[in-house]
Amino acid sequence: MASGTNLSESLNPATSSEAVKRAELSEIDASTKIPALFFLCSALGWILIGTIFALIASFKMHTPGFLGDAEWLTFGRVRTAHLNAVIYGWASNASFLVIIWLMARLSRSLLRHPILLLTAGVFWNVGVTIGIYGILTGDSTSIEWLEIPPYATPLLFVAYALMGVWAVIMFRFGKSPHIYVSQWYILAALFWFPWIYSVAQIMTIWAPARGTVQALVNWWFAHNVLGLWFTPIGLASVYYFLPKVLGKPIHSYYLSVLGFWSLAIFYNWAGVHHLVGGPVPAWVQTAGIAASIMMLIPVVVTGINHHMTMIGSFNALRYSPTLRFIVFGAVNYTLVSVIGSFMSLRGWAEITHFTQHTIAHAHHGLYAFFTMVMFGAIYYILPRLLLKEWPSAALISVHFWATAVGSLIMVLVLTVGGFHQGLLLNTPKLANTLGLQPGTDPVPFLEVVRVMNKYLVSRSLSGILIFVGHLAFAVNVVWMLLKPRSAEVTAPTLFRNPPEMEVVTR
Amino acid sequence: MEWFFYAFAFVFALLVTASAVYGLYWSSKHGQLRDFEKGAASIFDETEPVGVPTDFFPKKAKKKKDARKLG
Repeated sequence: MASGTNLSESLNPATSSEAVKRAELSEIDASTKIPALFFLCSALGWILIGTIFALIASFKMHTPGFLGDAEWLTFGRVRTAHLNAVIYGWASNASFLVIIWLMARLSRSLLRHPILLLTAGVFWNVGVTIGIYGILTGDSTSIEWLEIPPYATPLLFVAYALMGVWAVIMFRFGKSPHIYVSQWYILAALFWFPWIYSVAQIMTIWAPARGTVQALVNWWFAHNVLGLWFTPIGLASVYYFLPKVLGKPIHSYYLSVLGFWSLAIFYNWAGVHHLVGGPVPAWVQTAGIAASIMMLIPVVVTGINHHMTMIGSFNALRYSPTLRFIVFGAVNYTLVSVIGSFMSLRGWAEITHFTQHTIAHAHHGLYAFFTMVMFGAIYYILPRLLLKEWPSAALISVHFWATAVGSLIMVLVLTVGGFHQGLLLNTPKLANTLGLQPGTDPVPFLEVVRVMNKYLVSRSLSGILIFVGHLAFAVNVVWMLLKPRSAEVTAPTLFRNPPEMEVVTR
Repeated sequence: MEWFFYAFAFVFALLVTASAVYGLYWSSKHGQLRDFEKGAASIFDETEPVGVPTDFFPKKAKKKKDARKLG
């Protein structure tokens, strides 16, 4: 293991005394074990905590008295705690896990400086814990996606800086002559996130910009957390695991490069579409809408590329857990992004803005796309770290079906519900459809609330289904960590495929 | 003081843009945008070659019946 590597040597590879050679994949996987497991366990803890917060918030939407006496769990706090636990707790820790493993594999060199990574991991998780405690006790900054109180954010920034330094070192020591597209995405994300995070922190919290500029910075950040941090990591995973599991190269590498660069050009402009119809200059909104529509280029390019790679191999979905999650995520990436482009249009936003439709879209992107891809990646990575098989195929199936069906129900119900809500709020004539007296104008707000109830209850039910999936996943992971490795097995059997299978899938 | 942060954000944005442009220039200069087939195959090697799937449900791979069904 390269843990003994001197940091000064790493900063200047030319003076390194250590002859770094191209390492075997199994050695590389083993070298990432400790930091990768640290981030996996953190991510797992946060997704369970985050889902519980989500369920409490969701129940409060249709049963307002639920836990109504606990000030820590009032809607404003628990919903915010949910968002931060899943974004900075689950999704970011899972991203770090995938980054560590993929960077080491794609650089073709043993993991360097695990201590650096562990330090970053401790800083990050302590920061998120303090932040969420602060939110629950009422210290939230009230700026969406930046609610973590200012006394916790420097910890997150330090953690991220350490992670960035590590990635640059790994990249410089890379032993692969080619930089695979996943590495482009990962390195770009590691550059972009500190940029958007630091600028947003300064301009909204430390020295707040005045008026609508603050709102612009806020939504530029919030949208780019998805677009420039989670999307690149999700796509990096799809571009690696999809061809790797199938054993066939990506359909068109040219398209994957085109997808990367067009995303880099257009995504960062799109955040303004959250303020369509708001008090910001019309040209700024139009620029945001134009960029959102231009995003169709990378999205369609990526969608075609993934689909063409899968053609002829759909039967593989039956035997690979990783592939199921990855393909589900990739399909939803295309769907959510296309819907997102159209949501930015003024005519569409007029109906759906400030309705449950937005919540559907957020979960479609961060759950049905990103989280499912992360699950797929973990199903691939963990057996290679521990050299054990997953203990239960049944639990994997429960996990997949509960989360896939749960997330689809949630997205569908809230998308339809959001449209219904928006139309009722906008169009007085629809009062007739509710059985009210013709001419009841406008539809009373309470009627709209009543109509929404069935959608909100369905959302809670889908949330319970998703929670069941997470429990199955957690049980499987903990079981796998604890179960002893049988002495005669040197590698999990799932790496060695039977000859019959090789022939039919070739 | 506010102008300072606007200036800071502007310069920072320019630097990030410049780094992306440099990234594109660098990749073109170092042959990363040539020979795409080689690029796509770069994640495969002798231990995990093209043509061999690498992920299965635990224990399922052992069952001959399942494997036959795939054909």
